[in-house]
Amino acid sequence: MDIIMLHPSHIPHVQTCNITNLPENYFAKYYLYHALTWPQLSYVAIDLSKPPRSKNDPPKIVGYVLAKMEEEPVDGIPHGHITSLSVMRTHRRLGLAEKLMRQSQKAMVETFGAKYVSLHVRVSNKAALRLYKDTLQFEVEKVESKYYADGEDAFSMKQDLNFIWEQVKLDDESLRKDEKTKTEGDGTADHDEGDPVGDEGQEDNKKKKEVMRKVKIGRALGVSDLVEKVETPKAAS
Amino acid sequence: MPSAQPLASKEASLFRNVLKFYETKQYKKGLKSAEQILKKYPKHGETLAMKGLLINCQGKTEDAFLIAKEALKQDMKSHVCWHVYGLLYRSQKNFDEAIKAYKMALRFEPDSQQILRDLALLQIQMRDYNGYIESRRLMVMSKPQIRQNWTGLAIAYHLAGNLTEAENVLTKYEETLKQPPPRSDLENSEAILYKNYIIAEAGDYQKALDHLEVIAKTAIDKVAILEARADYQLKLEKNKEAEKSYRVLLDRNQEKRAYYAGLEKSLGLEGEARVKIYEELAEQYPRADAPKRIPLDFLEGDAFKTAAQKYLDWRLKRAAPSTFTSLKALYGDVAKRECLQSLVEAFLSEKRAEKPAENGDDLTNGSSPNNSVLIYTLYYLSQHHDHWRIRDTDKALSYINEALELAPDNADQGELRLGLARILKHAGNVRKAMEEMDNARQKDKSDRYYNTKCSKYMLRNDCNEEAIKTMGLFTRQNDVNGPLGDLLEMQCVWYITEDGESYVRQGKFGLALKRFHAIYKIFEDWTDDQFDFHSFSLRKGMIRSYIEMVRWEDSLWSHPFFRRAAINSIKLYLLLNDKPHLAHGSLANGTGDDAVDFESLSTADRKKAMKKAKREAQKQEKAAAEAAAKAKDERKGGEEKKQDDDPFGAKLAQTSEPLEKALTWLKPLLEFSPNFLEGQTAGFDIYMKRKKYLLALKCLLAAHSLAPEDPVVHEQIARFQLFLNSKPELSPTVQTIIDETFTIAPKEGTLSQFNEAYLSSHGEKNAKAVFSVIKARQALAASEGSKSDAEGTDSESLLFEILKKNETSLKEAMEGLGMLKDMKGDVGRYTEEARSRWPVANVFEAKA
Repeated sequence: MDIIMLHPSHIPHVQTCNITNLPENYFAKYYLYHALTWPQLSYVAIDLSKPPRSKNDPPKIVGYVLAKMEEEPVDGIPHGHITSLSVMRTHRRLGLAEKLMRQSQKAMVETFGAKYVSLHVRVSNKAALRLYKDTLQFEVEKVESKYYADGEDAFSMKQDLNFIWEQVKLDDESLRKDEKTKTEGDGTADHDEGDPVGDEGQEDNKKKKEVMRKVKIGRALGVSDLVEKVETPKAAS
Repeated sequence: MPSAQPLASKEASLFRNVLKFYETKQYKKGLKSAEQILKKYPKHGETLAMKGLLINCQGKTEDAFLIAKEALKQDMKSHVCWHVYGLLYRSQKNFDEAIKAYKMALRFEPDSQQILRDLALLQIQMRDYNGYIESRRLMVMSKPQIRQNWTGLAIAYHLAGNLTEAENVLTKYEETLKQPPPRSDLENSEAILYKNYIIAEAGDYQKALDHLEVIAKTAIDKVAILEARADYQLKLEKNKEAEKSYRVLLDRNQEKRAYYAGLEKSLGLEGEARVKIYEELAEQYPRADAPKRIPLDFLEGDAFKTAAQKYLDWRLKRAAPSTFTSLKALYGDVAKRECLQSLVEAFLSEKRAEKPAENGDDLTNGSSPNNSVLIYTLYYLSQHHDHWRIRDTDKALSYINEALELAPDNADQGELRLGLARILKHAGNVRKAMEEMDNARQKDKSDRYYNTKCSKYMLRNDCNEEAIKTMGLFTRQNDVNGPLGDLLEMQCVWYITEDGESYVRQGKFGLALKRFHAIYKIFEDWTDDQFDFHSFSLRKGMIRSYIEMVRWEDSLWSHPFFRRAAINSIKLYLLLNDKPHLAHGSLANGTGDDAVDFESLSTADRKKAMKKAKREAQKQEKAAAEAAAKAKDERKGGEEKKQDDDPFGAKLAQTSEPLEKALTWLKPLLEFSPNFLEGQTAGFDIYMKRKKYLLALKCLLAAHSLAPEDPVVHEQIARFQLFLNSKPELSPTVQTIIDETFTIAPKEGTLSQFNEAYLSSHGEKNAKAVFSVIKARQALAASEGSKSDAEGTDSESLLFEILKKNETSLKEAMEGLGMLKDMKGDVGRYTEEARSRWPVANVFEAKA
């Protein structure tokens, strides 16, 4: 399994992976919106078990994380948000969800200066809860009543990204020692170039599953309409 | 330019209101104001134009065009009238006409940024690069202080292939900056990376690397910097630096094959010598899969065995159901798959010998850890024996059943039932496979994966109603068109395709076409989706991703999802071309034995049957329309959706021009997937029927160069030669071209000898070759006006012979059965023999 950044050509298969695993689905344009606004934040896991029929054929996707930055954070703090994450049942217990998530989180910090990352998960989704709480160390912040289209509540969860800031700083220091090129840095940010150390090892997660976010949008809408704030609540059934 | 038709001040202010209402999407109010103006100035062109635009927004397209034309008649020199005319065409996706209209509008109002912008967007959507460059240049000239305009111009040059100019434009803007933008300027960060991307694309890696080092501090996309640096260093053979760069990348992400490949190359390692670095990395990153798994690709013999054992130990001890998936890519190598089998078998006997632990860690929910290791080792072996290169159904079943007995827990039960269902599907028992998959689903009804697979297996068993009901357990509940409506809207390609293929099997060709056309529509939508990003991405500044998106869109229609629907549709249209009566549902169930044998009916009876079929279809449609209307009434305040006037696809199937319809599917195949063999052979079939012999030959030659020995290609060569033998009346030019280019024609001997020679060289073990030879024989016999009995009998025995061969797959055996039915051969004996070879299968059972 390869873990690589989401490319537009992956989208049809990511969409298949999503609708196979999760009840919250999106049309391709919404994935494009992510890939073209925060390209650094979304990752896919690629199935290498079957060579493609021809060399330009897109690979089969067995897992993905679709992520974004909150565009207008209510608390004024820049933070990331996981729109959707899932791994095919056939590819569980490989630690893929965690690996996907770590790549995304690192980029949230490095590229967009995120302080924390948030997500929503169905209160009934025990497997996903276990993944977020135990494996990825998210914390439940609150319960959002009737968050989902079918009336189910969501846990609103978040994880502080300070541990990644620490890594990034360490990397910068180790890299600065043998840095050769000099440019006139403007010094506006406290994290410069560098290569962070690998993700800290964690217990292999046993089950990984889904999170979701409802988005009610018409495909024909313009991209700027795709932000979640314009969504109209779906009628619960 | 002032309008040729000035309005009084009251009306002028009303007109401004019209524009405002249009922009704020208050169409009704806009129309009201427009009508007010028109009362006084009934021939006011610009007001008429706006009226047209407004009613178009209300869905009255035809009227809108009439009014817009009238508007132009009244005021030919108004940019408003032309702009509106262009917008109408744009809304109809007739981009060529829209571009023409915008250009006219610009002629009368050269300074309008709005029109220029609309024009530019269409030009890039249509990939009119030169036009786009020109529009973008004008935009830079009018507002040079805006960076977006410069970046837009650079994109235009870049996409047009002029990398030098693209780079120049970006540099020119940078030179206007008095001081470098801060790091927090995301637009700048991306723009400088975009420039680096262009330099590299031009192939000057030294320059790219130098530039990269300059911008590395300011650009905040760290992965992009690190990857580009490693790549350039490697290309410049700065191996030491490249090695370091790849190690940095691997430290970030140990699951990306490209990084390992870069590291290998930078170290100059090849063959088995590479294993050392993988051992090091495996130790350094104990949780990573890739450094343990990759060496299995290149190691052989004992070295492979040692590495495989380690890998299997690591994976099997974790009781991961995906171990087999991780290894099956190796199964093309006989020695490796045999080695894996014996290793797993050894592991299994070890585990069996161990006593079950009483208080182990709770690895999986419920089952004790030892048990679950045992269970998933058995699971591996069941998958191993089910692999198509091995396909020992009995063994696969016995392993999975043993695993099932050991797994009391629901989670494991679900997983294993899924495996069992897959084995049954492969063994040809689609009914039992469906039942088992439903069992898996019952184990955890909240899991959509089970639910999805269950629906898929229902479709494979042609239970379309159950399938959509099952899908409906997870679709949005309030979609007007039910679960299918949601699946269409969410572009659930797999389901729509499988549903269509199921209808093909059942002879419900209208519904099948309906589904495949939905796939076509999805690809059209995906094409349209890029439109908004032409402006959006410039605003967001993520230019490299935008370029990737444009390039992906350029090859979108080569996607395998499209190819599959296209081949299905073409086959149907070809069939409907030959047998139009199949378009009528009740006459089309020709696959079932109870169906009306339409072709053997007398003319009068055929007419009667057709009438009856039409009546039935009408009844069905009426019922559906009533049901839809009822559903609509029951919904309150739901969004209005367009009524589908052809829910069963009857109109699609009853087309009077099936070959033209087939062409609309063929063209994208030939244009975007020229190396797709089935596309070329489909092209041959269509063009032959359309009597476009040169185009048919072109496809045949392309197919031949892709796969000279392919059975279908063989058959088509024979058919083309047969056609030439019939001395058709061809124009001298066509004849000359054929003579000169049909170099793959059978060289010597008769066509029949050519065909039989292919049989002796390919027909020994290759069922498809046998089928092609038989089809060519039939075509030959038909051309001679009689069917030679001797050959007919021989063809039949060929089908029986090939049925016995190990190489023949179940699917091929089913195709053979179909051919035998057409030949009116001994179907009973064939199915009996097939059943004894595939005892689990139900597909050879006589239909009740």
